[in-house]
Amino acid sequence: MNPAQVSSEKIKRIIIRTGAAILVASVTIYLALPVAALFFRTTPDLFFTTLSTSEVISALFLSLSTSAVSLGVVIVVGTPFAYVHSRNEYPGKTIIDTLIDLPLVLPPAVAGLALLVLWGRAGLLGQYLSLSGISIAFTTLAVIMAQIFVASPFYLRQAKSLFEQLDPAYEQTARTLGASPLRTFALITLPLTANGLISGAVMTFGRALGEFGATIMFAGNLPGVTQTMPLAVYVGLEGNLATGLTISILLVIISFAIMIAVRLLARGGAFHV
Amino acid sequence: MKKIHRAQTAIILTGIVCGLLVFTAIFVGCASSTPAQPATPAAPTARPVATTAAPASPPAAVATASTPAPVYTYSEGNVVAYTAASLKGVSPKLAEGFGKMYPGHKVVFNLDGTQALKTQVQNGAYADVFISASNSYTAELTKGGYFVDGNVKPLTSNYVIVILPAKNPGHIQSLADLAKPGIKIAMEDKTVPAGTATIACLASLAKSTYSKDWNTSVFSNVITYEMSEPGVATKVSLGEVDAGFVYESTYTAAPKDTYLAITIPKKDNYLQTYTIGVMKQSTSRGAATDFENFMLSAQGQQILKDYGFRPISSS
Repeated sequence: MNPAQVSSEKIKRIIIRTGAAILVASVTIYLALPVAALFFRTTPDLFFTTLSTSEVISALFLSLSTSAVSLGVVIVVGTPFAYVHSRNEYPGKTIIDTLIDLPLVLPPAVAGLALLVLWGRAGLLGQYLSLSGISIAFTTLAVIMAQIFVASPFYLRQAKSLFEQLDPAYEQTARTLGASPLRTFALITLPLTANGLISGAVMTFGRALGEFGATIMFAGNLPGVTQTMPLAVYVGLEGNLATGLTISILLVIISFAIMIAVRLLARGGAFHV
Repeated sequence: MKKIHRAQTAIILTGIVCGLLVFTAIFVGCASSTPAQPATPAAPTARPVATTAAPASPPAAVATASTPAPVYTYSEGNVVAYTAASLKGVSPKLAEGFGKMYPGHKVVFNLDGTQALKTQVQNGAYADVFISASNSYTAELTKGGYFVDGNVKPLTSNYVIVILPAKNPGHIQSLADLAKPGIKIAMEDKTVPAGTATIACLASLAKSTYSKDWNTSVFSNVITYEMSEPGVATKVSLGEVDAGFVYESTYTAAPKDTYLAITIPKKDNYLQTYTIGVMKQSTSRGAATDFENFMLSAQGQQILKDYGFRPISSS
């Protein structure tokens, strides 16, 4: 290599480095600055004063409890479903795969309307339920149903691919050694996929916590009953901005914690996807 | 090795170019956002830089505050009207009437709860005209210096009414029935002007005719506080609630047999006053003033009257 070549290589490298730095900086600033702006708009004093108002506390409690219930349902039903689904071939499997993923790309407002015209009092199924005195729309149950609808794909996708990638040899060995299918699942399959499953669960919880569009359409907006944190932010923007800011900051902190949790789990788990 | 390097360079350069393009597009998009595009008012998100838009668009220079007689060309006759959601039903007729009175002019409505529109404008959204259904929000905007000459004109008014689904699933015959246990009611959030009006009506009814307990029971029957007046109407028309509080105009504008209605006596009712004002930031002030004139004209007022609004003089 002659010296001219070396220096041109060097210049090239500098250009690439600078370009990469600009790219990284601009993307980071674009994504992080709006979040940071939330913190600049309020003061610690104002934050803690509004934090203790009943509006904020009830929204926080409602959001956390409904998201927890949603997550519980998704795990209890979703884990065996994903296992059965990924370990068996059956007609229409691709269609089911697509349908499961649909809520990921479906606008939440569409999901809300869909839930309303199915379960609402005048809805496809709801009209029969309402005859027997059961109403779902505009209740806390509707909040949970909306959350499950939009958030479950995060867990299901993760669980499906974990089970698909798990080498069946481990399970077969356990089975040949005389373990029952349930025992094999509990002692071999679950521990080997646990990290990935938990990170899927954390994402599901986060999505449920942030659910807005489907909730406001299907569950309405009633403080303490259906007004979750994102709804309270929406109402706050048009009424009391301080409330909106406080809840937004709470959500930022919770989301951040969620992402860190997922990160840590991903690092620890060999089977993470 | 060299090949990989070249590929990397290409990818990174493409990335940089794309990034710059996106940023330029965003900034240019913000700076040159003129009211000419009908698509802009539909976007509910506020554009924070829009206030700086005025100097960027050439027609702005023509119609300034120092020019009393509006000088403008009809090609810039597009009016973006931020309009209280309760005018939703009448808005197509108003657009039609405006086009007839001022051929070549066009109005695009951004319909939402006044509280939402107010917030959008305060955060930099572009509007030529602002039709408010709330005196307090109007006052807030006036104070903020958003209107030409710092003032607005009374436009029309509206009473509150109770609507029920045509099938009347709650078997509601009177205002007293609204307090029956198990009745499902939709009303507007207190930040929505119609919500404020409803709360005032209920308080007055409780005082004059019913009781405090009645008032409490009615509120405990509320299953959703909607963020706009049409939101309540929709819940009633879908049959998802037994009753909803809306404006008279919404009941009048709806196709026959959509709703049943129970009126609230005038003495206990709350007459909501609507105002109209031309925004200072408007870059087509001529057309905006024309729109305001149309709305206050006999034709405009007649259309509003046909849809159940009450002329200002009757209040």
